[in-house]
Amino acid sequence: MKKSFLKLTVLMLVLSLALAACGGGDKKTSKSSDGGNKSGSQDGGTLTYAMEAEFKGILDVNFYDSQSDSEILTFNTDPLITFDENIKAQPNIAKWETKDNKVFKFTFEKGVKWHNGDELVVDDWIFALETIASIGPDHQRWSNVNTIEGAKEFNEGKADSISGLKKINDYEIEITFDKARANNLENIWQYPLNRKHFADLKGNKNIDDWLASNQVRVNPIGTGPFKIQKVIPGESVELVRFNDYWKGKPKLDKVVVKVIDGSLIVGELENGGVDMSAFHPSLLPEIQKLKNVKIEEVPGLSYYYIGFKLGTFKDGKVVMDKDKYANKQLRQALLYAIDREEWVKEFFSGLGNPVNRPMPSAHWIAADNSELPVNYTYDPEKAKQLLDEAGYKDVDGDGFREDPNGKKFEINFAHYDTGNPTYEARAKAITQYWEEVGIKSNLTMTEVNLYYDQIEKDHETMEAFYGGWGTGADPDPWALWGDDTVWNYPRWVNEEANELLKQAVDVEVVGTDQEKRKNLYVEWQKIFNEEVPALPIMELNDVYAISNKVQGVKITPVGTEDMHKWSIKQ
Amino acid sequence: MLKYTLRRVLAMIPMLFLISIIVFSLAKLMPGDSLGGEIDPANTDPEYIEQMREKLGYNDPIYEQYFRWITNFVQGDFGKSTRYKIPANEIIMERLPNTIFLSLTSLIITYVLALAMGIYSGRKPYTLGDNTIAAANYIGLALPSFVAGVFAIYIFSFHLGWFPSNGSVDISVTEGTFEYWLSRFHHVLLPAFVLGLLNTASYTQFLRNDIIENSRKDYVRTARAKGTSESKIYNVHIFRNSVIPLVTFLGFDIVNLVGGAIITETIFTYPGIGQLFLTSVTNRDYSVLMTLTMMFSLLTLVGNLVADILYGIVDPRIRLD
Repeated sequence: MKKSFLKLTVLMLVLSLALAACGGGDKKTSKSSDGGNKSGSQDGGTLTYAMEAEFKGILDVNFYDSQSDSEILTFNTDPLITFDENIKAQPNIAKWETKDNKVFKFTFEKGVKWHNGDELVVDDWIFALETIASIGPDHQRWSNVNTIEGAKEFNEGKADSISGLKKINDYEIEITFDKARANNLENIWQYPLNRKHFADLKGNKNIDDWLASNQVRVNPIGTGPFKIQKVIPGESVELVRFNDYWKGKPKLDKVVVKVIDGSLIVGELENGGVDMSAFHPSLLPEIQKLKNVKIEEVPGLSYYYIGFKLGTFKDGKVVMDKDKYANKQLRQALLYAIDREEWVKEFFSGLGNPVNRPMPSAHWIAADNSELPVNYTYDPEKAKQLLDEAGYKDVDGDGFREDPNGKKFEINFAHYDTGNPTYEARAKAITQYWEEVGIKSNLTMTEVNLYYDQIEKDHETMEAFYGGWGTGADPDPWALWGDDTVWNYPRWVNEEANELLKQAVDVEVVGTDQEKRKNLYVEWQKIFNEEVPALPIMELNDVYAISNKVQGVKITPVGTEDMHKWSIKQ
Repeated sequence: MLKYTLRRVLAMIPMLFLISIIVFSLAKLMPGDSLGGEIDPANTDPEYIEQMREKLGYNDPIYEQYFRWITNFVQGDFGKSTRYKIPANEIIMERLPNTIFLSLTSLIITYVLALAMGIYSGRKPYTLGDNTIAAANYIGLALPSFVAGVFAIYIFSFHLGWFPSNGSVDISVTEGTFEYWLSRFHHVLLPAFVLGLLNTASYTQFLRNDIIENSRKDYVRTARAKGTSESKIYNVHIFRNSVIPLVTFLGFDIVNLVGGAIITETIFTYPGIGQLFLTSVTNRDYSVLMTLTMMFSLLTLVGNLVADILYGIVDPRIRLD
């Protein structure tokens, strides 16, 4: 459950999932400047990891639902399958084989131990899958299980077990899905659940009982490098090293994860109260001044965009029935008009890059800029030319362009408001770029909850809006851009593009060929790039501040890795 | 007195009922609901969200939701926190001890400082000492707690390193030991000072003014004429009369005791009721939000009553019936 720490705002809807990615993955060994007389890495010591968001305290990976809990879980949980820096699935505890993308055979490593001393066997995975299946739709991960053959029957009580799960021996299992899909592997729930630990809850269909249990809240266990020793709700969690960790004994004695207010991060890093923390880009200049801290930057898995309402969502279908922004040249011009380099530098301390497609560069399906038909750069002249061609001209001489029918044209741009003063400034900057090419623009700041509510309901005041998405391990962008999904906020439908997305998950078309699948997604990104139903603005990098004392830290776009190799100078 | 108390207690019931209607409607009128922030397309499908909304009854009309809530509430079922996934009263009880510890410490600090400074200023009005105290107090009063908190952290935590800047206890000490309590005390001291600052200022000035006023009264002159020692006049005669207004504050202090301090707790990342209240509002965690609001309302009403009754006790001139 490597999760990228998306240090955006809580308000942004993030769909980061178990992923992985990261360009470079460059591991920097620190050259400590303080007291350089001691030798480098050594065993022992406590690492204090700070986070800003309060954790909920659901500390079993099979039940968690928040980013903050998952940051703690990274230390005590080890997934069966991980994702590499390009978000491609890689064996971890389990290896897999498949011929047809329908039947998978998984082989577990031998000798993997749970924190309570039990050996991890395939029955624990079956237990996890059956638990989720028996809880059914009340469980957040039901959609990661209901594609297994027989899971629905099991949920309805028509079967005593899930027919698609066939145990071969303690270390081998064969899983049959209800049909072949290109993304069955990415989709399946990849974490086991200890049978002995949860014996008293076996078969319980009420998720509330699971969530409230001591096994989840007070003494959770996993198979990861550190075990949870003590939890102080809402404040901190103490983890100690797990000597029998299957990849080797961890070097650190302890990890303390604690919640601290965002305003304290810089000071605590400076005086050594915190050894490691992700932070918001706006803190970069202050953190750069600290001598005892190094900064680790990894490509993130989220992107921001400016969407235009091109239609509405009716009866489960996206219908393109609004024409204010229907003109493709208009939308292209609006993207050419924005100096995104400058904007990212100004408002995100340069910790991001402009993108020309709705896909973060780290992802393996991301199209290279050279493959895309249009390479948008800051070019106000080009923007003006496109507007002229599209018929948006200033006919009444007031300095602003009118629409092709000679009527007043104004963009009503909306941005969410969370009380962060920089949001209004950055949104204002966008409208100014547009006014520079002659398009009158107004800005509305809307309270964030109301904002997403209005976007989702296609409220009439929402026509051009700022938003962000994270991407998951499964590259399929259907949930965001398909024609039957409510999260297609711009309400964009393009038959050809939809066809490509459908083909990319169709085993008949792609089989198990990843290259073929990627090509279809690249084609889809080309259409998006040309049409720009939403203007891709930028991708944001994840940044961590790490004390110089800490060594061996590995971070990828999916999150922190190899924690058992981390060490701290005493 | 008993009749009076009973009457007041009975009058609280309709009041609480009205408060609950207003707060519930306001909470529900806030845009968004507790599921909005969890939307995560890679992870949850819209069907799950819709199903949960239906299950939690968010799609029903407000009055239906209200009646469902109030029926459960009066039966002692405060609902389940949508964020923490455990019953609202459990999560509140988890945080309450922290808040009581913080406010009790801050209350002690307030009273000790206010009494010491107030008595000194009252006995020696218009001297350098009195003016210094007054100046300090007005600064304390004018300083918003978010400014005071940030400064306190900067100076005492980051610069001098005397106090921790966050948390309620060091997680590595064993619970129940002497070190544990020492660590808790160490963590609570700085936020307690910041929290106490504001009240100290007003209490001090109240006490000072009362002492000055009383010292000019006839009974003081009489006592002086009888040859009573100056310290006895101040410490017994005047003091007893001057603490009357302070005693009435005690009722309101009860509310502060459990109400937590939203700003101070947030700045110091101190997991108490104030911080919980703030998260429950931002996450639309209705059951926690409503339980806390009802708790605050009840305590405010009780606090008022206690203040009135205490007033009658310390000052027999006041008759309650």
